[in-house]
Amino acid sequence: MKTETKQAVNKQRVLPPVFQYPSAAVPLLITQGAEALLYRSTYLLPSIPCALKYRPSKPYRHPILDVRLTKHRILSEARVLVKCKREGVPVPAVYALDEAAGWLMIEWIEGEVVRIRLNEWLKRRKDEDLAEGVDDEQLLELMTRVGSAVGRLHAVGVVHGDLTTSNLMLRPRSREGLNGDLGAAVNTLEGDIVLIDFGLASQSQADEDRAVDLYVLERAFGSTHPRAESLFGEVLREYGKSFKGANVVLKKLEEVRMRGRKRSMIG
Amino acid sequence: MALLQTLHLEHLPSSHAIHAALYRDIKNATHLQQQLLNGNTDFEYAFIDAGVIVSKIHALAAAYRAVNDLLENRLRSRNVHSEIVFSLSPNNNIAESFRRFGITPTTTNLLIIKVSTPTSPAAASEVQEHLTSSIEGEQVPFEDSVLSQMTDVARIKKIYKLNSGGGGGKKTGQVNGAKGDERKELEVLVLGAMALRGVTN
Amino acid sequence: MIAIGLEGSANKLGVGIISHPSPGKPAKVLSNIRHTFVTPPGEGFLPKDTAKHHRTWVVRLVKQAMVEAGVSINDIDCICYTKGPGMGAPLQSVAVAARMLSLLWQKELVGVNHCVGHIEMGREITGAQNPVVLYVSGGNTQVIAYAEQRYRIFGEALDIAVGNCLDRFARTLEISNDPAPGYNIEQLAKKGKVLLDLPYAVKGMDCSFSGILASIDILAGDLKANPDQRDPLTGEVITTADLCFSLQETVYAMLVEITERAMAHVGSNQVLIVGGVGCNERLQEMMGIMAKDRGGSVFGMDERFAIDNGIMIAHAGLEAYKTGFTTPLEESTCTQRFRTDEVFVRWRD
Repeated sequence: MKTETKQAVNKQRVLPPVFQYPSAAVPLLITQGAEALLYRSTYLLPSIPCALKYRPSKPYRHPILDVRLTKHRILSEARVLVKCKREGVPVPAVYALDEAAGWLMIEWIEGEVVRIRLNEWLKRRKDEDLAEGVDDEQLLELMTRVGSAVGRLHAVGVVHGDLTTSNLMLRPRSREGLNGDLGAAVNTLEGDIVLIDFGLASQSQADEDRAVDLYVLERAFGSTHPRAESLFGEVLREYGKSFKGANVVLKKLEEVRMRGRKRSMIG
Repeated sequence: MALLQTLHLEHLPSSHAIHAALYRDIKNATHLQQQLLNGNTDFEYAFIDAGVIVSKIHALAAAYRAVNDLLENRLRSRNVHSEIVFSLSPNNNIAESFRRFGITPTTTNLLIIKVSTPTSPAAASEVQEHLTSSIEGEQVPFEDSVLSQMTDVARIKKIYKLNSGGGGGKKTGQVNGAKGDERKELEVLVLGAMALRGVTN
Repeated sequence: MIAIGLEGSANKLGVGIISHPSPGKPAKVLSNIRHTFVTPPGEGFLPKDTAKHHRTWVVRLVKQAMVEAGVSINDIDCICYTKGPGMGAPLQSVAVAARMLSLLWQKELVGVNHCVGHIEMGREITGAQNPVVLYVSGGNTQVIAYAEQRYRIFGEALDIAVGNCLDRFARTLEISNDPAPGYNIEQLAKKGKVLLDLPYAVKGMDCSFSGILASIDILAGDLKANPDQRDPLTGEVITTADLCFSLQETVYAMLVEITERAMAHVGSNQVLIVGGVGCNERLQEMMGIMAKDRGGSVFGMDERFAIDNGIMIAHAGLEAYKTGFTTPLEESTCTQRFRTDEVFVRWRD
């Protein structure tokens, strides 16, 4: 799901109040969704990059409701992230938060989203006129890693709620890679999968919710990478192995697919 | 050579400085704690038992939160210094946080933090002087390399309830084995627990 | 070209006659009349009673509409009727009337999707080009955007429609259903000021209302048993007006939120509100604030066109008819479930 909107950028954006005091570098606006703004900044020291998620007040809501909702959402997202981190699910760490002020500071994940990496990789293959099947190993391997990461997420009782290829990041494996090898990393699909943007996540073990997560991801692969869609089976295969009960979810997925979006409502 | 470190944390006003000093093998813990309990105004410091500090960042995270809460008029304890100790806590029990993180008669390694504010300014040299004369112990650099030798990992895991799962049971996909990484893992879990103070599920 | 449209998917029976003079020129409403089946306070409308009401009034309304429009049977090009979605028996009764007219007048039938009717009428009346549409009524709650010949549903209520939630609460409070329960809730809400903590159920692009309905029903029960209840936050005495106020503020915030999400997703800053609940001034106000914040605007209609009516069926039907679409008699059924995105919108590019 795209979270950028061009219209709102036209409006002169004031930095969130948390940034009113100085920092080594000016915070950088990364994305602007309907719900929240994401900035790149620093935590405690100039050497520690962080992502700041800021949920501005919504003028159309009653002020009491607005504060209530904002607090709830900040805390909910933080809880989910902390729980995931504890259980070994690859997500950004939570550094700090202020639910009354509507912000959450989390670990900055270096690297790029799978959507972009995949597009670059597919384009490169096309440009280099590589035959089908060549390098598919890398693609398959990426799918496997995705399946494994999503499996681990569901296994700890969390559903993402917005699982798209823009919410999966590929973080370069070696730390030193940040300085030197970045050029080499760009054209490969290598790296650790890190799940990001848990603004719509919830704690659920329901097969339905898990199946919908997979369905959204399947559709995301399909709409942005038709070539990669056919390989989505690899994601599901690995997912199916990742925890007890995963196969039930895969069965549910078939149902969800057939239903299309949702049940029709009775008029 | 100044072992006292003065830091201006990101996103805090330049008027609010953080002074930090680390001491090893202190002999007068009881006396120091007594000064705090008496409310001796010469001793407005956060006295933290270094055994429950994972890293420099861990301590600074607490300092950041406390100063932020001070600026937002949200202190839940007496002053910004007691608030730093309280900010280390995973729950809202203030008294318990002092027992767990603050100085006690059995403290041997002590981390001291002093916040300088416009209403209560404190220059580095003054602070260092006062500490030198008041703390009976060996001042050491406030660095992770030194801190790591003082950390009681088991105690920290117990306080922050990080014993089940904790990333140990499942693979994290990271380059494992190096002690540094384990510490980093512990650090982020501790930061998360602090951020969620009182609202964990 | 001229079309007559018959609508009766819920408790409103509407007959409208529309003229599409020539391409590029705006449509002309020749007549638009409606009769609502109003039940006593505390009661909802049952399918078979509603169907009876429609059967009783349809001939009268059709005759009246023809007279008002000043057209003869010859002038009519097609007979449009609501194929669905809606309540079974009422839909049937109107479909039967449409078939009867078709056979009697020897005119072709056009089955119309009720939601598409609302959308097309909204576009026509307001002139909104390509807005995100919030369709909210007693029977439907959907966020829709047009793409590639379909009105795609981006978000919806997963259990009951927002209008249904409001109507049922009106029953709980035994508020009058005249002119409409939702209207009376709105008036009562204007006198409320305490915002109670009610469940806010938005999940991504979707929302659900059964939880908040259950909660507010319980609160109403509590209040009835103990009229001196005070709000824990402010210490003020709670009134039924406060209940209505809290309910509105919460459900409308939910609707505005899912609409905004859809707008961000498709990159639009225009909103069109259609359906009976769209008449609500507070909803329009909140949506307007959100749209303005994004540098856009909100489009709405008055009750003539927002509430279920026959003219929207005539209008959408005629658009389809002009592209060659008709519904043969054997296929002129109606269906309770008819998703908005099932319709192939051939008349737009």
